[in-house]
Amino acid sequence: MPTSTKPVRTHRRPHTMIVPVPSGNRHIAPLDGLRGLAVLGVLFFHAGHFSGGFLGVDLFFVLSGFLITGLLLTETQVRAGRVDLLAFWGRRARRLLPALAATIAGTLLLFWALGPPPLLRYALDDAPWVAANLANWHFIADQVGYWNAADTRVFGHLWSIAVEEQFYLVWPLAIALLARGRNGGRRVALVAAAGAVVSLVLMTVFTNPVDTTRVYEGTDTRTFSLLLGSLMATPPATRLLARAGERATAWGSLALACGVGAYWALSDGQNDLSLFHGGLFLHALAAALLIACLAQAPRTLAGRVLATPALRWCGLVSYSLYLWHWPIYLLLSEERLGLTGWSRTVVILAVSLAAAWLSKVLVEDPIRFRAPWAKGRTGAAALLVAFAALATLWALIPEPQTGAGTVDVTRLVSAGTVPHTGATRRPLASP
Amino acid sequence: MNSKNTSSPLLQRPTRRTAGLVLAATTAALALTACQASGDGSSPTADRNTASSADRQTPDGQKNTTKPHRMLWMGDSIGEVQAPPLGAAMKAAHVAFKSIAAAGGGGVVGEIAQPTWEQLPKELTSFKPDVVAYQITTYDWGTPGEQRAAYERLAKTVNDAGAELLIVSAPPFKVDDFYRSHEAAIKTAPKSAKEVADKHPNTVRFLDTSALWGTDSTAAKAQRGKDGIHSCQQGSAAFAAWFGEQLHKQYGFTPAAVDQWATGSWTSEKVYAPLGCK
Repeated sequence: MPTSTKPVRTHRRPHTMIVPVPSGNRHIAPLDGLRGLAVLGVLFFHAGHFSGGFLGVDLFFVLSGFLITGLLLTETQVRAGRVDLLAFWGRRARRLLPALAATIAGTLLLFWALGPPPLLRYALDDAPWVAANLANWHFIADQVGYWNAADTRVFGHLWSIAVEEQFYLVWPLAIALLARGRNGGRRVALVAAAGAVVSLVLMTVFTNPVDTTRVYEGTDTRTFSLLLGSLMATPPATRLLARAGERATAWGSLALACGVGAYWALSDGQNDLSLFHGGLFLHALAAALLIACLAQAPRTLAGRVLATPALRWCGLVSYSLYLWHWPIYLLLSEERLGLTGWSRTVVILAVSLAAAWLSKVLVEDPIRFRAPWAKGRTGAAALLVAFAALATLWALIPEPQTGAGTVDVTRLVSAGTVPHTGATRRPLASP
Repeated sequence: MNSKNTSSPLLQRPTRRTAGLVLAATTAALALTACQASGDGSSPTADRNTASSADRQTPDGQKNTTKPHRMLWMGDSIGEVQAPPLGAAMKAAHVAFKSIAAAGGGGVVGEIAQPTWEQLPKELTSFKPDVVAYQITTYDWGTPGEQRAAYERLAKTVNDAGAELLIVSAPPFKVDDFYRSHEAAIKTAPKSAKEVADKHPNTVRFLDTSALWGTDSTAAKAQRGKDGIHSCQQGSAAFAAWFGEQLHKQYGFTPAAVDQWATGSWTSEKVYAPLGCK
């Protein structure tokens, strides 16, 4: 999700070799729009209006795989097969961690001040895992899906960020090894395809109808989406699409967009077991093909629709929007707002968009584009200081007391004649 | 991570951690120098080797033939949220208690029960309960014949380990889309269990909890939480109180007074938070 859509290849050169170029300042506008659509799907899903919107997360995964792999392969072309891994991870850290840290700190403070104690208690429990980008495994251990506990975990949505971060740690290493020498792109494509199949098999094997948290949030079981996106960014896939020609690519992108849209519209929610027996894989495959087609031919009908300014704007703030929307949804509950249905949705969407814009303008962009100190050793030191401050905040917030006063002892006393040890029984309370 | 329980809202987490470490060290030192085994079953999930002869004697030194002295609690997530007050009530009555109730499992019928059959023999060997209470799970899916066979196997396993089996019917719960296709099995499970108990009157007993919960999951009497399936603290405490009285009827057990355990630290157990309980 939070990757730049700077072009990784030229497009609209049918019947010729596609050569990825490391330039630039151009965006593949439809991919921004696609990201906007993905985040809107998630927002409406969480607001209870769109049962297929959770598939937006899958779309984020595919987009991330595609864009990251494209950037890395471009780098290998420019640097004679080598990847500067430290520089890559540094860019990822500058892109992702400041907004994440701000969200964690802001959410803890908000729920400390305003939130119900059980939510703050879980927020304190989950925060270290979120900061370590291991939240998905923590939630799997807690069986959050089984307990249907999402509305008690203010960081519950950040499992997907953890999956992406873990992928960003491992996949660049793989590319750095695979892309060396001749046919490096082909090796990357083969490993991506094979990895996606293995991931699908793991999902099928690990699916437990009673609790799908393991397969829904597991890095291994969701990796196929990232890898299918990666596959589409490799030279073999790019060449194949280029041979198809722009006209076929244009019709293909339209058909795929309609197919993906229909799947979203007809989806019965994230507990549908068919998702884990190939449904999510097919969705990811269709999304990956769509993304590849859009990158190849961005000015087609589907591309133009996706490149509308509103969708692109949502795409540009999608990372912060995703980070902030769920804590805001839980904070502005029906009880607190006194609103239900669409009227509440309008309020929580507006607040989420405002928070996302502030996060982008005040945190994301300054550190990415206007803070030379955020690079190199000073950047690493700043990161350490930021997370030390976060840890201090976490340690200073008192863990709330929950459960007090939840049991009325007088309602437990039976009229029976069973003897009891210990204290005298209390008299029955007056009504 | 944060600690599981809170002792005082005024203490900051680091302070609590230090206090916890000091407490743990002190407790360990006392335990090492103690002249007798503790055996108070203070932890719902620990206390594997704490049975002592003192547990089995009345205050005047007579042999105490009542049960239980060591109780193993089995069930699914419904049982899991009932376990904290049950553990507190048992502890207050000087009974060692351990729960192996498991969210998303814990049953004994069908393939889904495989983890239970792997775990149970180990628990029987290590914890050495004299009563095993099995609350019928929402996953006891199968034909009545399969259910009876599973409960027979449970009875034999428990009895062979020297313990009595007490099968407890599940509370009424909301049959949602997930459970709908298994509704028939959910209904026949208590009948199947009772038939097995009737066949082994000396070693297997059956408790019908409808006297406590009623039969309508939506009624106030059922005390279901927001999800219509699990109970919050009040409902779980109600079960623990009722269960103690049933143990008296079944085994002559003397339960602790509710004001000794019902409002203890167990009410802050994390297991209640995802259910929307306070």
